[in-house]
Amino acid sequence: MSANGKAPNWFVRHVVYGAAGWITLLTYLFMLLPIVVLIAFAFNAGKSTVVWTGFSFKWFEKVISNRNIIDALEVSLIVAVASAAISTAIGAVAAVAITRRSFPGRDALGAALAAPLVLPEIVLGVALLVFMSFVGMTLGYTTMIIGHVLVSIPFATLIVRAAASSLDPRLENAAADLGANEWQTFRMVTLPQLMPAIFTSFILSATLSFDNLVMSTFTSGVGTTTLPLRIYSMLKLGITPEINALGALMVLANVTILLLVMGRYLPLILKTNRR
Amino acid sequence: MRRERREQLQTGLMLTPSVLLLALFILLPLCVVFAYSFALRDPYGAVLPGFTLDNYKELVQGVYLRVLMNSFSLAGMTTVLCLLIGYPVAYFIAFKAGRAAPALLLLLLIPFWINFLIRISAWVVLLGRGGLINKGLVFSGLIDEPIGMLGTVAATLVGMVYAFLPVTVFPIYAALTPIDRRLMEAGADLGAGPAETFWRITLPLSLPGVLAAALFVFVPSMGVFAIPVLLGGGKDIILGNLIVQLFLEFRNIPVGAAVSILLLVVSGFGILLYMRALRRVEAMK
Repeated sequence: MSANGKAPNWFVRHVVYGAAGWITLLTYLFMLLPIVVLIAFAFNAGKSTVVWTGFSFKWFEKVISNRNIIDALEVSLIVAVASAAISTAIGAVAAVAITRRSFPGRDALGAALAAPLVLPEIVLGVALLVFMSFVGMTLGYTTMIIGHVLVSIPFATLIVRAAASSLDPRLENAAADLGANEWQTFRMVTLPQLMPAIFTSFILSATLSFDNLVMSTFTSGVGTTTLPLRIYSMLKLGITPEINALGALMVLANVTILLLVMGRYLPLILKTNRR
Repeated sequence: MRRERREQLQTGLMLTPSVLLLALFILLPLCVVFAYSFALRDPYGAVLPGFTLDNYKELVQGVYLRVLMNSFSLAGMTTVLCLLIGYPVAYFIAFKAGRAAPALLLLLLIPFWINFLIRISAWVVLLGRGGLINKGLVFSGLIDEPIGMLGTVAATLVGMVYAFLPVTVFPIYAALTPIDRRLMEAGADLGAGPAETFWRITLPLSLPGVLAAALFVFVPSMGVFAIPVLLGGGKDIILGNLIVQLFLEFRNIPVGAAVSILLLVVSGFGILLYMRALRRVEAMK
């Protein structure tokens, strides 16, 4: 361990490292065990979430035939895709401007775009609600999409900024030397290099939107109940294995998306980083 | 000259969407909330123009003051617990886990794949009278019959720690990994005991991560409203619940606005403290 080959003494090996190890083990049990139990009881035949009475898929059938859940899923998907697209577009353009251009107030804009990360989301939600009724706008898809863009814009900007600042300017110079104009250079040299970051920020923004409860609470209107809002009202009435089945399905969906992203884009991300 | 102008125009065009978004949907709405927090209200809930400090005065009286105290103590306890548990975990992943480190970090992300509410519902079930924890305690003979754990502050706290622990580990881990191990070894070689090495080298160097973690836990935990309702039975409510109730149930917008401004000020204060502490830590190096 030590530079001079001296082994750490007994106290370090057994008490310090040992304690950290035990705490880590217990923490992982604490974090993961509830999820394992939750998914297991999605397959329970009975109506209980604590007493096992046999194996069945009936709660999954119940979920996919529950009109309320399917409607909410549709709303959630629309809002997730729309807000992720808008936030990634705005965030990427701002990120490129911040890393590539000099203009007064550049640092301030960078900080302001990261601000929703440290401002309480509930206050942003309330502010948007008050403002929308102030200007006389009805709550619905538009207000919710704007709200979700506010939640995801810091991530979209930060991810693309990180990628844009690590680009090699020589590649763009080379393109210019070879006769490409500004737009061609951007489209054929800069943009392809930023694509993995843009894709990552889209997926992350969509995920954040899909899981959002706080912003949706204040910005959703009649007929735009998202899945988390639906789950929240279901939970207040009591828990059946239907919730567990829904949770299991969401885990499955997330793992699938993750594998797809990794399969398609991980090689690309690794390649850009190696350079 | 023309090229320069064109470039300026381009930059301006690139900045327009983000500046508009921030100004129109964050800055302006916050100004409206600020103005409303001094406004009057008619008996039917409509906001009347005017200027009064009564909305803020109400906050430091009776019920609202209790909510305020609750919020600070719950957020404080959550932060302390998360740091006490999260630090050793981050330490273990950074220095002891070796090749298992990436897997451990990935495992910590799993909770993010499952909707936050569904994760909390798992705890509602586990802590229930018929839940696994009560059954385990009865089985082991520690208690004679199931105890009511739901609806207590402790249950809320379990949910809060469960929700915020991953957020704690990542910044601390990020601060621990770049620490030059030779510094720690030098400390040991110079005769410092392991506790002293940790206390005087590792901990100060990882302080920025600890501060970031504290900020990421303390501020958002005051705005949470689902956990105190689902696990705490809605008895001990915090600022987040108060805001939801005032805006969506009682329609008392002026007082709700005052609560929101208060939360904003608290988080702004937290950020300032964080930046000052960070500067002091940087100066120490």
